[in-house]
Amino acid sequence: MAKLFAVIRREFRERVRQRWFWVMALLGPLLFAGLFFLPLLLAGSGGIKRIVVVDGTRTSFGVGVASALQRSGVFTAVRVPARVGLVDSLTRAVGAKELDGFLLLTDAAVDSGKAEYRSSNVSAFRTIAVLERTLGQLATAARLERAGVNPTVVATAQVHLDLETKKITGGKTTGESAAQSFSLAYFMSYLLLLAIIIYGVNVMGSIVEEKTNRVMEVLVSSVRPFQLMAGKVLGVGAVSIFQFLIWAVSARLLLRVRARFASTTALSDSASVFQIPHVSLGTAAIFTACFIGGFLLYSSMYAAVGAISSSDQEARQAQQPVTWLLVLSFFGMLGMLNDPGSKLAVILSLIPFTSPIAVPARWAAGTLSAGEVTLALVLQAVGIVAVTWVAARIYRVGILMTGKRPSLKEIVRWVRVG
Amino acid sequence: MNTAILAADHIVKRFAGHTAVDGLTLTVPKGVIYGLLGPNGAGKTTTIRMIMNIYVPDSGSVRLFGEDGTGRDHSARIGYLPEERGLYPKMRVLDVLVFLAEMRGVSRRVARARAGEWLERLGLSDWRAQKVNALSKGMQQKVQFISTVLHDPDLLVMDEAFAGLDPVNSQVLKDTVLDLRGRGKTILLSTHIMEQAEKLCDSVCIIARGRKLVDGTLADVKRTHGGRHVIVNFDGARGDADRVFADRRLVSKADVSGQYAELELAASADAQEILQALVRSGARLARFELAEPSLNKIFIDLVGPEAATPTARSEAVDGG
Repeated sequence: MAKLFAVIRREFRERVRQRWFWVMALLGPLLFAGLFFLPLLLAGSGGIKRIVVVDGTRTSFGVGVASALQRSGVFTAVRVPARVGLVDSLTRAVGAKELDGFLLLTDAAVDSGKAEYRSSNVSAFRTIAVLERTLGQLATAARLERAGVNPTVVATAQVHLDLETKKITGGKTTGESAAQSFSLAYFMSYLLLLAIIIYGVNVMGSIVEEKTNRVMEVLVSSVRPFQLMAGKVLGVGAVSIFQFLIWAVSARLLLRVRARFASTTALSDSASVFQIPHVSLGTAAIFTACFIGGFLLYSSMYAAVGAISSSDQEARQAQQPVTWLLVLSFFGMLGMLNDPGSKLAVILSLIPFTSPIAVPARWAAGTLSAGEVTLALVLQAVGIVAVTWVAARIYRVGILMTGKRPSLKEIVRWVRVG
Repeated sequence: MNTAILAADHIVKRFAGHTAVDGLTLTVPKGVIYGLLGPNGAGKTTTIRMIMNIYVPDSGSVRLFGEDGTGRDHSARIGYLPEERGLYPKMRVLDVLVFLAEMRGVSRRVARARAGEWLERLGLSDWRAQKVNALSKGMQQKVQFISTVLHDPDLLVMDEAFAGLDPVNSQVLKDTVLDLRGRGKTILLSTHIMEQAEKLCDSVCIIARGRKLVDGTLADVKRTHGGRHVIVNFDGARGDADRVFADRRLVSKADVSGQYAELELAASADAQEILQALVRSGARLARFELAEPSLNKIFIDLVGPEAATPTARSEAVDGG
C-alpha cells in the first residue's frame, strides 16, 4: 500500500510541478472569462447610446418617450424641443461621434405611427428593437387615451408578455430554458471528452516514458505491475480532478465578479443575452461520477496501449482505436441530443464505453431518471473492472517488451495466459 | 560453505522457439562477490531477471535468503542494477532517489537522510536539487548506483556491472562493492569482462548458451580447469621463441601477443625445459613465471570462439 501511494504521489507531484499543468490551469479560467464577459462586453460595447429626442409634438408624447428610453437602460436620452437648424447641428454631432443618434418625433408618430431615427449605426438591431417597442407602446397608449380609454386600463392592457420555456425535471420545474439545457449538455460532454483524452493519453505517455528510459525494470523488480498501473491511473486522475477544482473555483469567482460587473454597469438586462446555465448539485455529482468512471475505463485502456508500445510515435498510432471509441461516443451523443429519449440514446447511455459521455448529456437534457442513472453507473463499474483486468494482463507482459510491437494474436494470448 | 543467499535450481526459460536458460543451477554463498560470466547472449540477463522475479521460470525454482517468496517479495533486501540503466530524466536527483527507495520499502524520511549521505559521499551534494537530465552521464551513473544501494540491501545484483562506466565510476563501484562485502553483504554481478571478474570475484559461474560450464570458487576453477601455465615476457629480442612455442612436446597451447605470451604446458613437459629451450633459441627474457591461468584464458578455452557469437534470435529476446 505504501508503495502504491508512493507511485501516486510521484505521478501527482511531477505533473503538478510541470509548466503545462499551470498553463492548462490558467487557460481554463481565461476561457471562462471570455465565455462570461465577452457577450457582456459585446452587448454593452455600444454601451449606453447617447441620443437626443427632437420633440416636435404638441403633446407630452415626446417627454414620455424620452423618459421611457432613459429608463430602458440602453439610452441616455435628452429631450430637445424642435427648432430650425437643430437637425443639422445634431447630424454634425453624430458625425463627430459626440452623439450616437437622434429621434425625430412629430404628432405623426401618434397619428399615423411614423417616426424617424438617424444614427451612424442603424443596423444595431437591439437598439432599434428597444426604440420600436418603446415608441409603439407609448403611441398605442396615447391613441387609446385619446379615444377615451381609462389610462389605468391601458397600463394593465400593456403588460408585456414574455414567453419563457422551462424544463421539467423529476416532476419539478427548474429555471432552465431548453437552450440552456442543450448548451450545458453539449459543454459537459465536450469537457468530458477532452479531459478523458488528455489525461488518458497522459497515463499512456507516462508508461511509455518509463519503458523508454528503462526505469521500468527496477520498478517491476519491487512493485507488482498492477500496483504500478493503478498508481499511475490514480495519480494522473488526481491531477485531473485537481485541475477541475481549479477551474470550478475560478469559474465561480468569475461568475460572482460578473454579477457585480453586470449590476454596477446597469447591464442587468444585457446579462440575459448569455445566461450561464444553473448547475445543480445532482448534475455536478453525475458529471464527476461519469468523469471518474470514464477516466478509469479509458485510462486503463490507454495504459495497455502504452505498455505494448516502445516509443511515443508507436503509442500515438496504437492509441487511435481507443480515442476513436471515445470520439464516436461523443458524436453519438451529439446526434442523440435532438431526441434524448430515443432508443439509441438509451442504449448509448447503458454501454460502459459510451455512457460516460452519454449519461451527463442526457441528464442535462432532462430525459434520464435516477434509476437509469444508477443502472448506467453500475454497468460502468462492471465495465471498469473488466477492462482493468484485461488491461492489467496486457500491461504486465507488455511493459518488459521492447522492439517489435506485439500482434493482436499475441496480445490475446497474454490476456488468456496472464 | 556458508548458508546460500541465493540458490537457483534447474531454472529454465524459453522464449518463442529458443531456450535462453536451460536448466541452470547455481548457489551463491553469503558474503562473497559472485561472478556470473558468459559471452553476450549466454543467458545472463535472463537468469538475473528470473532471480529478480521479473521473469517467471518455465521450470525450476529460485530461493532467496533461504526463505520462501519471490525476488519481489524480498525486494527490500535486494539492490538491483539492471543492464539497461535508467532514471526519470525530468525528476530532481533527490526525488528520484527517495522514490526508488520507497519502492524498496524505505520510509521517505529515512530515504531522504540516506540519499543525502550518499550524495555527499560520492560528491554530488550540490546536485541534489537539479534535474537528472542536467547531470553528466558519469554523474547519472553514480545516482543510479546510489539508488541500488540506498536501502542497504543484503544482496546486490548487478547486470553487466561495469558496462558503460568511466574509469572513475568503475573505481567507485569497485570500492563500494568491496566495502559492502566487508560488511557481510553478498554481491552477484554479471559481466563478460574477465579481467574485472578476476580482480573482484570470489566465486564464478561461467555459462554459455543457457548452460553452466563451470562454477566454484575462483581458486578451484583455476586449479581444475587451468592446467599448468607459464607467463613469459620478452625483453626485446625474441630469438626463435615461436619454434619453442610450437613444440607440442613442451607447450600444448600458446597465447602470444607481442612481448607477452601465456603458455599451457604439455602434460609431460617440465617448465625448466621450456626455459632452457627459450634461452637456447636466443630470446631475451624479462620474466619467466609459473602461474595460474588467467580467467580470460579459462573462459575462452571453455566457451570456445563459436559461443561468443550468439544467434540473432537470442540477442533479440534478451540481449544478455
